[in-house]
Amino acid sequence: MIEFDDVHASYEATLPILKGVSFTIRDGEFVAFVGTNGAGKSTTMRLVNGLLKPDAGQVLIDGVPTTELRTSELARRVGFLFQNPDSQICCNTVREELLFGFKALGQAGPEADERVDAIIEEFGFDADDDPFLLNRGARQLLALASIVVLAPPVVVLDEPTTGLDYRECAKVMDIVRRIHERGTTVIMVCHDMEVVADYATRCIVMSDGTVVDDAPTFDVLRNRDTLERASLVPPQIVDLSFELARDMPQLAETAVARANTVDEMLAAVAEEARTTQDVERSVCA
Amino acid sequence: MIEISNFSFKYRESDQPVVSGIDLTIPDGAFVGITGAAGSGKSTLTYALNGIIPHCYPGDFYGSVVIDGLDTCDVVLTDVSQVVGSVCQDVDSQFVTSIVEDEVLYGLENFGVPRDEIEGRVSRALADMGISDLRDRVISSLSGGQKQKVAIASILALNPRVLVLDEPTAELDPASSQAVFDLLARYAREHGTTVVVVEQKIALLSQYADLLVIVDEGRIRFADEPAKVLEHSDELKRIGVNCPRSTTLMNRLRAEGLYGGASVRNVREAREALKEVLA
Repeated sequence: MIEFDDVHASYEATLPILKGVSFTIRDGEFVAFVGTNGAGKSTTMRLVNGLLKPDAGQVLIDGVPTTELRTSELARRVGFLFQNPDSQICCNTVREELLFGFKALGQAGPEADERVDAIIEEFGFDADDDPFLLNRGARQLLALASIVVLAPPVVVLDEPTTGLDYRECAKVMDIVRRIHERGTTVIMVCHDMEVVADYATRCIVMSDGTVVDDAPTFDVLRNRDTLERASLVPPQIVDLSFELARDMPQLAETAVARANTVDEMLAAVAEEARTTQDVERSVCA
Repeated sequence: MIEISNFSFKYRESDQPVVSGIDLTIPDGAFVGITGAAGSGKSTLTYALNGIIPHCYPGDFYGSVVIDGLDTCDVVLTDVSQVVGSVCQDVDSQFVTSIVEDEVLYGLENFGVPRDEIEGRVSRALADMGISDLRDRVISSLSGGQKQKVAIASILALNPRVLVLDEPTAELDPASSQAVFDLLARYAREHGTTVVVVEQKIALLSQYADLLVIVDEGRIRFADEPAKVLEHSDELKRIGVNCPRSTTLMNRLRAEGLYGGASVRNVREAREALKEVLA
C-alpha cells in the first residue's frame, strides 16, 4: 500500500511543486495519474520510489516512511520505468541488462538466471542483442522487462508509451496489463487518454501541484468540471457522447450519451437507429 | 514547391535502403502530416527535406529532392537551411544557449541578418508562438511545452519557407499538443509557409493536415486528403497505424450498413455524421 499524507515537495526551496498531496493506493490497483505538463505527476512518481523526499508530510510504502527505507529496499518494493528507456539501460547485452537488477540487489545466482531466461522467452528477446542497437520500442520493452524480472510488488511507469507507434504501444501495455493481472500494483503517468481509458481502473487528476480529482477512470473522464479544471482532453468516444447528448437532447438518457468505447457507441447507435426505423414503420402502418 | 522524385536512400552501415522509390509533390503553403510505424523511414524522409541527407549522413542517394528549385544534392547545407527550418524530436539537443532570447537570436546572427532587423524578428517570432513573456527565462527552467515553443520560435525567426518538425508534440499533454498545432496552422496560413510534420498522433495530423502521408517499409503507402486515407482503417492498422477512434467508429458503422457517408477525421465530423444517422 502506498500512502501520501499532505505531501509538499520541491526541487529548490523557492519553487514548490507539490502543495499538499494526499491519496492512498491499495495493493493490486491500476492507477493513472493525469494532468498537464508541469502539474506535478512526475514529481509524485519520484516521491513514490524515493528519488525525492518530501519537504513536509509523509510518503509511506507498506506503512513505512520512504525517509526510513534504504534505497535497495525501496528498489525491491517499487520498480520504476523512466519515460526515456535510455535513462536506465546500461549494459552491453540484453541478458546482462536483465541480470543487472539482481546483481545490484546482491541476488545474482541460479534463480536469477532462471527468471531472466523466462523473461527473455516471454518477451521474445534475443539474449545477445546489444540494447543500444534495438529500436525505441524494443528498448522500452527491455527497460520494462528489466523491472518485471525483479517482480516488484509495485511498478511505476512514467509515460510508458511516449514515442512508440501503435503496435509498440499495444505490446508494452499488454505486458503491463499481464503483470497487473498477476497482482502487481501499477501506477502510470500518461498523457494519452485513450491508453488511460483502455487500461487504468482509477484516475488521479493533478493540477498545479494538487490532486483535483480521484475516482474510477470513466467517472473522471466523464466529469466535465474535472476535465476543464485540469485542461484534459477526454477520449474521443467520451467526447462524442457529450457532444451528441448536447446537440440531441432526446439522446441524453440513452446509451449513446453513456458510451465510453467504440464497441459501446456502435451498439448504442445501432439500437437507436433500429428504434427510429421501428417508429417510422409503425407511423407508416 | 517541394518535389521528391524516385528518391531512395541507403545509410552506409545498412544492407538495404531505408526509403525507396519515393515520389511526392508538396505545393507551397501545404500542411503535410507524415506518419507510419517505427522504422518505416519517416524520419529519413525529413532528413532528406532539410538536407541532413545527403550532407551529414553518408550513404547511397538515388533520385532527387528539389525544394523551391534547389536540388539538395547540388547546394551546400547552409543554402538548404535558408529555405528549410527544422525542429528536432529532442528539442534539448537543439538548444545552444541558456536564455530564450539568446536562443532565438542565435540563428539570426549566424545567418548574418542585419542588426536593425534582429529585434523585430525576435519579438515577432516570440509573439507568433505566444511566448513573449518567456523572453528572459532560463531555458532549463521551462516546461516541455514551453521548450517546444521556444525551439519552434527560434526557427520561425529565420523566416523559413518550409518548416519541418519531427514529432513536435511527443512529450506534450493533449491540450499543449493541440495548442502547438493551432499555432503552426495559424502561422502557416498567415505567412504562406509550407509545414511538414512527422507525428505518431494521427488524430492531430488528420485534423490539421491538407495532405496525409503514410510511410510503410520505406515506401509511401498513401498520400491523400486525411479523410480519404482514413477510409483504409483496416490496412492502416495492419501496417502499424491506428486511426482516431471517431474514424474507427464511423468506418465500422459503414461496414454494418448504418452509415453511407465519407470517413471522418475527428469528433466534430463524427458528431455531424451521427446526427444524420440518428435523426
